[in-house]
Amino acid sequence: MRDRAAKRLPGFVLAVPAWLWLTAFFVVPFLQIAWFSLGEKPGMFGSHSNAVMSLDRYAEAFSPTFFTIFRATLWMSVLGTIVCLVIALPAAYFMAMKVPAHRRGLLVALVMVPYWTSFLIRTIGWKVILSSEGVLAGFLTDVGLVADPHDLLNTRGAVLLGLIYNYLPLMILPMYVAFDRVDSALGEASKDLGAGRIRTFFQVTLPLARPGIIAGVILVFIPMMGDYVTPAVLGGAKGTMVGSLIASQFLTAQNWALGSAMAIVLILLTMLIVILAITLMWVVGWLVHRRSRLVVGTVPPPDPRLHNKEVATA
Amino acid sequence: MSKPSGTNIALGVWTTLVFLFLFAPIIVIGIYSFNGGRLLTAWDGFSLEPFTAIVDRPSVRHAVAVSLQTAVVAALLASTLGTLAGMAMARFPGRWTGPFTLLLLLVSVTPEIVDGIALLPWFVTLGQDWSLLPFNNGYVRLVVGHSLFATAVVTYIVRARLIGLDASLEEASADLYAKPVATFFKVTIPLVGPAVLAGGLLAFTLSLDNTVISSFINVSGTTSWPVYVLSSVRSGLKPEIAAVSTILLVFTLLVLGLVAWVLKRSGSSVTDTMAAS
Repeated sequence: MRDRAAKRLPGFVLAVPAWLWLTAFFVVPFLQIAWFSLGEKPGMFGSHSNAVMSLDRYAEAFSPTFFTIFRATLWMSVLGTIVCLVIALPAAYFMAMKVPAHRRGLLVALVMVPYWTSFLIRTIGWKVILSSEGVLAGFLTDVGLVADPHDLLNTRGAVLLGLIYNYLPLMILPMYVAFDRVDSALGEASKDLGAGRIRTFFQVTLPLARPGIIAGVILVFIPMMGDYVTPAVLGGAKGTMVGSLIASQFLTAQNWALGSAMAIVLILLTMLIVILAITLMWVVGWLVHRRSRLVVGTVPPPDPRLHNKEVATA
Repeated sequence: MSKPSGTNIALGVWTTLVFLFLFAPIIVIGIYSFNGGRLLTAWDGFSLEPFTAIVDRPSVRHAVAVSLQTAVVAALLASTLGTLAGMAMARFPGRWTGPFTLLLLLVSVTPEIVDGIALLPWFVTLGQDWSLLPFNNGYVRLVVGHSLFATAVVTYIVRARLIGLDASLEEASADLYAKPVATFFKVTIPLVGPAVLAGGLLAFTLSLDNTVISSFINVSGTTSWPVYVLSSVRSGLKPEIAAVSTILLVFTLLVLGLVAWVLKRSGSSVTDTMAAS
C-alpha cells in the first residue's frame, strides 16, 4: 500500500508534459475557434470580431449556398464508406480465413504500404491516371464510354474514387484483425450442427467480426467527411467538399468567424452520423440476435426456407 | 487448409484486384517520374531529366530540406512526450487515465483541417497579439502542428508495448532496493526502447507527409515539401515532383522496413503495433 501511494505521484507527473502540450496546441486553439464562431467578420480588412455575439454564423453555414456542399459531402462520405465496406469485406475475409498463416503478415504489410506513403502523392497518382492526356481517358473515349477525355477529372466521381482509394486500407485493417480473431472452431461447430457455409458466414463469422466492421466504418467515415486534399487535387470546381469550403474562408475570404462555425458544424454533423450509424448497427445486430437465439425447452418453429436442409440432415 | 472451391477462387481474384487498385497510383507515380515531358500528366518519352532537374531547382531542394528538418524535430518531440505519457498510462494508471485517453482519442479523430484552421489563429494570437515571437517562425509552427497526432501515436505504441510486458522486472528491481528513479532509467527505459524507436520513426514519416495542417500554418520561406506540391497542383505539376516523391517513397519504405525489423527483433507483433496506430 505504501509503495503504491509513493508510485502514484511520479506516474501522473510523467503524463503531464504531453497533457500540457496537447492542451496548449489542440484544446485551447479549438476553444478559440469555438469562440470566434459566435462573432462576425468586421468590415473588409478584419478577419474576426467578437464585439457582437450571435449565432448568425451558424445560420449562414446552414444557408442554401453552403449547405448544398455539406449535403454533397455527407452523401459522398456515406457512399464512399459503403463502397469501402463492400470492397474490403471479401478481401479482409480472404486474407484472414483463407490465406496460409505464414503469408498473412506480408499481405497486411502490403495493405499498409499505400497507407504510409504520402497521401497527397497517391492522390496525384490518380490525377495522372484520370487526366485527359492519360491512357485511360484515351481508351474510354475510343470505346465510347466517355464523350470527352476531359470528363474524368474534376468531377464528383473523381473525388469519390479518390476518397474510396485513400481510406480503403483503414477499412481493410480492422476488419482483417476482427476476422483473424474469430475462432475457426466456432465455424466448424456451426458446420457440424448442419449450417451451410453461407449461413455460417452470416450467423456466426460476421456477427463475431462486427466490432472490426464498426471500427472500420468509423475510421473511414470521419476522415472522409473532413477531407481537404482529395477534392483539392481531383475535384476542381465541381467536386468541392466542406474541407475546401472551410479552407477558403480562412485562406481567401478571411472570414474566420464563418469558417470556424463551419468547422464546428462539420464536427457536430460527423458525430451525429457516427452515433446514428452505431445505433443502427446495434439495433440490426440485436434484431438478428433475437431472431436466431437459442431456445431451450420448446422447439422453435422451423424456418420454411431451411426446411428441406433440416429434413435432410435429420 | 481450405479447398480451392469456386468461392475461394473468386475471393482470391477479388483480393488480387484490391491490391492492384491499392498500388495503381503508386506504380503510376514511379513510372511518371521518368517522364521527359514538361508537365507531369502528359507522358513524353522516357528520360532521367526529372531527377537531374531536382539539382537545378533550389526551391524543390529547399522544400525537401524544410520537411526533413521539421520531421526530425517533430519526431524527437513526439517521442519524448509520447514515451513519458505511454509509460505513465501503462504503469501508473489512476483516475486521470480516463480523461487522458479521451484527449488522445479526440486528437486522433479530429479531422486535420480542424487542427489546421484552429492552429492558424492561435499562432497569430500567440505570435502577434502576445508577442511570443517563436510562434511567428515557420519551423516552430510546423513542428508544433506535426507533433500533435504523432504524440498520440507514440503514446499508443509505448503503452501497448509496456502492457504486453510483465511488470515483474520492475518489481524485481524494486525488491533489490533500486530507487524508483534508478528502476525507471535502468529497467523501464531499456524495455520500451524498441517501441520508442518504432513510434519515433512513424512520427517522422507522418510529419514528412503532413499536408493539411502545414498548408494552413505555412509561413513563406519555410514551405514544406507537401505544401510545395499542393500549390503546384494549381500552378502545374512538373515531372520532378514525381521524381522527388519516388525518392521519398523508397526512403519511407526503408524507414518502415526498419520499424518492422526492430519490432520483430524485439518480439512484439508488427501487425498489432501498427494497427493500434
